[in-house]
Amino acid sequence: MSAEIFGSWIVVFLTLCILSYLFDDNPFYKAAEYLFIGVSAGYAAAMAFWKQIQPNLFGRLWPKLETNGEVSVLQSIWYKVYEVFNFINTGFGTLDRSVFPEGGIKGHEEIRMIYVIPFILGIFMLLRLVPKVGWLARWAIAYIVGMTAGLRFYSFLNSDILMQIQSAAIDFTAGWGSIINAIILFIGTMTGLIYFFFSKEHKGSFGTLSKIGIYFLMIKFGASFGFAVMGRISLLIGRFNELKNYSTAEFNYATPIILVFIIISLAIWSFMDGGNKNESTA
Amino acid sequence: MELVKNIFIKLGSLDRRIIFLLVGLSVLLPLLKPAWFALPIRPKQHSQIVFNEINKLESGNRVLLSFEYGPSTMPEIHPMSIALLNHLFVKDIKVYAVALWPDGDFMSTDAFAEVADDYGKKYGIDYVNLGYKIGGEAVIKNIASDILSLYPTDIKGKSIENIPMMKEVNNVEDFDFVFSLSAGYPGSKEWVQYATDPKGIPMSTGCTSIQVTDIVPYVENGQIRGILAGMPGAAEYEELVKTELKSRGLVIKSGEATSMMSAQSMAHVVIVIFIILGNITYYLTRNNKRKGS
Repeated sequence: MSAEIFGSWIVVFLTLCILSYLFDDNPFYKAAEYLFIGVSAGYAAAMAFWKQIQPNLFGRLWPKLETNGEVSVLQSIWYKVYEVFNFINTGFGTLDRSVFPEGGIKGHEEIRMIYVIPFILGIFMLLRLVPKVGWLARWAIAYIVGMTAGLRFYSFLNSDILMQIQSAAIDFTAGWGSIINAIILFIGTMTGLIYFFFSKEHKGSFGTLSKIGIYFLMIKFGASFGFAVMGRISLLIGRFNELKNYSTAEFNYATPIILVFIIISLAIWSFMDGGNKNESTA
Repeated sequence: MELVKNIFIKLGSLDRRIIFLLVGLSVLLPLLKPAWFALPIRPKQHSQIVFNEINKLESGNRVLLSFEYGPSTMPEIHPMSIALLNHLFVKDIKVYAVALWPDGDFMSTDAFAEVADDYGKKYGIDYVNLGYKIGGEAVIKNIASDILSLYPTDIKGKSIENIPMMKEVNNVEDFDFVFSLSAGYPGSKEWVQYATDPKGIPMSTGCTSIQVTDIVPYVENGQIRGILAGMPGAAEYEELVKTELKSRGLVIKSGEATSMMSAQSMAHVVIVIFIILGNITYYLTRNNKRKGS
């Protein structure tokens, strides 16, 4: 069996496992769900390490330098630290080098000591696993929260507030269609904002405006729901298309065989589980 | 009349599995027999804007293509990537790919493998794939200011210094256009906020259906130039690109989104029918309860 056919059988099996949830929560679905979460988390962690931490953090702290044999004492000590990390990483010298290549990591030309700060903060984050010094993780979290807040403040203010306010203004020099469209949008924006203003009781004319705001919000939610359904159906089509492609003789009839297997297994499971439920009820 | 009412009320208590089955059949039948359900595809305004913006670019221009989706949203976004690369390569535009999602690397690699050879495009000269970096908006911010420090190597681990087309770029301002293929966070919104708005670079997006209502305010305001909205957007763009290629004497087969649109339309018809039936049943049962009380 070639790797492609083997892969197609796994694809079909896992797809049908997930779709089996439509019948009921069952062991096939749970197995596929746990596998998906585990593989996703593992893959994301490995990618983060090899694409960012190794080349951009370790690579800046210990770059492969072209020194012509002239190395200062401080540099020499610094690269001794690198070798210590490598010694630990290679299982005390038993494994081959991987994270810390010989002489430094390629990609950067000079040592950037400022990157010691994120390195230390990263270690602080991991210390959360040690209860006694877990409080150190707060320093790293404080940095992330502060930095993100600062970074987002300007961008939100510019792109989401100022520019959106600008677009809510009505251009009376435009055509009639555009003016009417802009008026509707303006009313929708203002009444929507009024609905979320809770410092004044929603009564009288203020209450009426708030109610109009609800209708605009409902239209938005309706549109979002419609698009959500459309998106989910697109994904279903994608899966069905793949199941159809793998149902041919080229792939040893993966789809029909696995489908029959899962249906029979679910029928047996349902019968046995039904019995268990009846017993527990009695 | 009473009989009709009872039928509707009984339909309201239909087992959910039967509804799943009918929706499933409505998707499966058009996939098995596409000729029976073939429907014409007419490009809408937003897809046309995206096409026009890309069409305006000239040979040798540089486009930054960001892959922010994975296998789970592949049916919606991947056909856009394929159609877009066809469009960019036929116009001899240089493509720089990055990924903000870990599995975006697979998507970009697959898309280039499918299209690049058809146009005789060379890696490192006509297109480059810089790969995935973790960090979301921080990565976008870095691309906006200093792309070379963020990507010392490309997706294959090759040093950036050895890639000829990377000598022409330092930050996002060196690109003529940014295109975000987005399925969520980080995605189009972050590109607008951290790169294209502050630096004034034109940008378009192809996104999942579920994101459309969040992205449309930026489109209406001109912060994003047009939007390919989910699978219908992909199918419309495929049609536009197919027509463009035909006018240049090139023939390509219909894209994947176009072939799946019949299934999409049939499924929508079934869902709309169930929503109408559900509402009728709801009003009838509510009236019955009122009368009863």
